[in-house]
Amino acid sequence: MTGALALGMVGWGLPVLAHGLTLDHRWVNSVEVQATFETGEPMVQAQVLVYAAGNPSEVWQQGTTDDQGRFSFVPDATLPGNWEVMVRQAGHGAIATIPVGTVSTAPANGSKPDMTPGVEVGSAPNSLISPITNLSPVQRGITIGSVIWGLIGTGLFFARGKR
Amino acid sequence: MHIPDGILPAQVCAAGYAITGLATWYSLRQINSRPDPTAEIPKASLLTAAFFVASSIYIPVPPASVHLILNGLLGVMLGYFAFPAILIGLFFQALVIGHGGITTLGVNAAMMGIPAMLAYHIFQSRHTLGKVLTEPTRTGLFAFLGGTLGLGIAALIFLALIIFNIPAELDAGAERAAILALSIAHVPLALIEGLFTAMLVLFVRRVKPELLEG
Repeated sequence: MTGALALGMVGWGLPVLAHGLTLDHRWVNSVEVQATFETGEPMVQAQVLVYAAGNPSEVWQQGTTDDQGRFSFVPDATLPGNWEVMVRQAGHGAIATIPVGTVSTAPANGSKPDMTPGVEVGSAPNSLISPITNLSPVQRGITIGSVIWGLIGTGLFFARGKR
Repeated sequence: MHIPDGILPAQVCAAGYAITGLATWYSLRQINSRPDPTAEIPKASLLTAAFFVASSIYIPVPPASVHLILNGLLGVMLGYFAFPAILIGLFFQALVIGHGGITTLGVNAAMMGIPAMLAYHIFQSRHTLGKVLTEPTRTGLFAFLGGTLGLGIAALIFLALIIFNIPAELDAGAERAAILALSIAHVPLALIEGLFTAMLVLFVRRVKPELLEG
């Protein structure tokens, strides 16, 4: 349990972005999902659907986020693979894919505490355009600035033709 | 108000692309029939940039916070250029800011672009319907109506699309309540955008009135 908690402290996953909403998750002794709007507000009382690996058509667990936008569940270690957590509220939502697999070998550097075989949870952004989440604020600013400059440049080009 | 990927079933996304295709074809045909189709491109391009940025500007409407859309404003100012402008703006928003999605681009463009075209016709009807009013009031009022109704109708389409596509696994009652709350939060936003549209149109009318004769 202690090992699991320690891993949880370092195990924040990549956020998944979709319409101003981020969905972070980390592994404690369970998977904790954090749903936050782009503005930083937690997504309170949003509906959460958990789908087990290999069975995307059947809901494995259902619930709602708490006042901090959090929801946690314990994945079944006998069902390794990509688990999906969907958070939805009023037509806004995001899906996080959480790889769950059995721990077979101890880490080579030995820095992580030993654990009994259980679940190992990683994270992967599930979005058609996942690179957004990987951009730093500067990179994002440059990208947005380039789009704006492209549009202004187009305007200037056609305005020039009129003179 | 952008619908992200994974919320709507595939048929709805396909239908959205079909409607957007038709609306884009119709808009481009209208633009091409003008004496100089490229004359309005500078204005359209600058307003596309404004539309692109607007969705990052949040306005708190307790308990939620909503962001500017400006589709009614684009309709009033751009006429038939509004639809392609919104389509391009939404494409970059999905790609760069993460608002909306690529599969739902068609649905979002139809949801915001068709009300924008309606807003244009509302604004143009000031010449026939607003004869009793004196000039600055008439232009201001119809610009306000265009800006407000453009967003209002888009919000109603959003409401209908989401309410009729609640997955069976979700608690439909709670989801409906959340959707209604979000839609009601768009009423003050529609009024704000209407006022903003009226202010912009009155300003343009004073400094460069020919820009309004689209």
